[in-house]
Amino acid sequence: MEHTSVVIKMQKYVALLIIGLIIATGYTFVTYQYFFAGFTNLHNYSKTPAYVLNGSKVFTNGTVVLQIARIDGPDTYGGFIVLLQLIYQNGTIVYQWNAQQLGSIPQSHIHNEYPLHPVKSDKFALVVPLGQNASVLLQVPFKLKPGTYTLIAYDVDGQNSAYGIKFSVTVQAQQS
Amino acid sequence: MSKMQSHNVDQAQMALPIVRITLGWLYFSAMLRRVWNVPAKMNPSSPLYVGGKLITFIPHSLFIGNILQYTLLHPTLLFDFLVIWTILEGVFGLFLMLGFMSRLSGLVIALLAWGIGLGAGWIGTTCLDEWQIAAVEGAAALVFTFAGSKWLSIDQLLSKKYPDGLKIGRWNIPLW
Repeated sequence: MEHTSVVIKMQKYVALLIIGLIIATGYTFVTYQYFFAGFTNLHNYSKTPAYVLNGSKVFTNGTVVLQIARIDGPDTYGGFIVLLQLIYQNGTIVYQWNAQQLGSIPQSHIHNEYPLHPVKSDKFALVVPLGQNASVLLQVPFKLKPGTYTLIAYDVDGQNSAYGIKFSVTVQAQQS
Repeated sequence: MSKMQSHNVDQAQMALPIVRITLGWLYFSAMLRRVWNVPAKMNPSSPLYVGGKLITFIPHSLFIGNILQYTLLHPTLLFDFLVIWTILEGVFGLFLMLGFMSRLSGLVIALLAWGIGLGAGWIGTTCLDEWQIAAVEGAAALVFTFAGSKWLSIDQLLSKKYPDGLKIGRWNIPLW
């Protein structure tokens, strides 16, 4: 009788142990594939910054609302936007903001989604911390023709794309 | 159980503190860094505030993206969360080092490791740093849930006195 109870106890233990084994191994393999696609197409999104500009707006009175989210790159440093170009569909540059201009945007013109780690100007660049999503109010010093415009951002490393993501967005100018 | 088997089990038990004390320290010291080394890490108005780390998890987190966003938009909730998390790390990290309620402590540490991993797992600029941490700490901690730790531990003393675990009514809860 006592022997039977010990066997049942042992079986319960083994069953739970196998569940534990599956959970631990499953976590390891599933997250390996989800975070790094390690079983198919290995990548590491922490290596270099990437930005998404979707949701940006251009107005015919020259106002530009840059919507910028930093979705890749190191967690403790950067990224730094040092050049922002507004271009026509034919590739002609309408206006561009250089590092000095991007480095001196008043904080009141920047609206951050999250209160911590805000996007801010640091005299040298527009700093966009990992995970933050901000809208930045900019002004072209002349009126814009109605039509289609593209905004392109450049990281301080000179790149305007990473991991197949272009740091650009194409939008219709809105009447203001 | 034959004498030989019993002897092997004891030998395996004697190896466990090698992992247990280091694993416990990883969590206990996480609390120390925030409370003793650099208290500013727990100050919401300091740039060192650890709450900001949660923003960096958002872009590629698994399952918990909405929870992270909600928490970051509610600063008092974020602070409470960090306090509770830090207490859990400190208390159960210390328990694991001391070998006190090793089965329960192992389970709590496993959940903390895997929980953080769902957010931070994709981050790591050199290796797959955070994923490696979460996967190995989670798996290692779960070992103690099944094995307990009955050598160089408080559980060693407790299990001699109460070999069936904590008895509540007709339930024996195997905390050690």
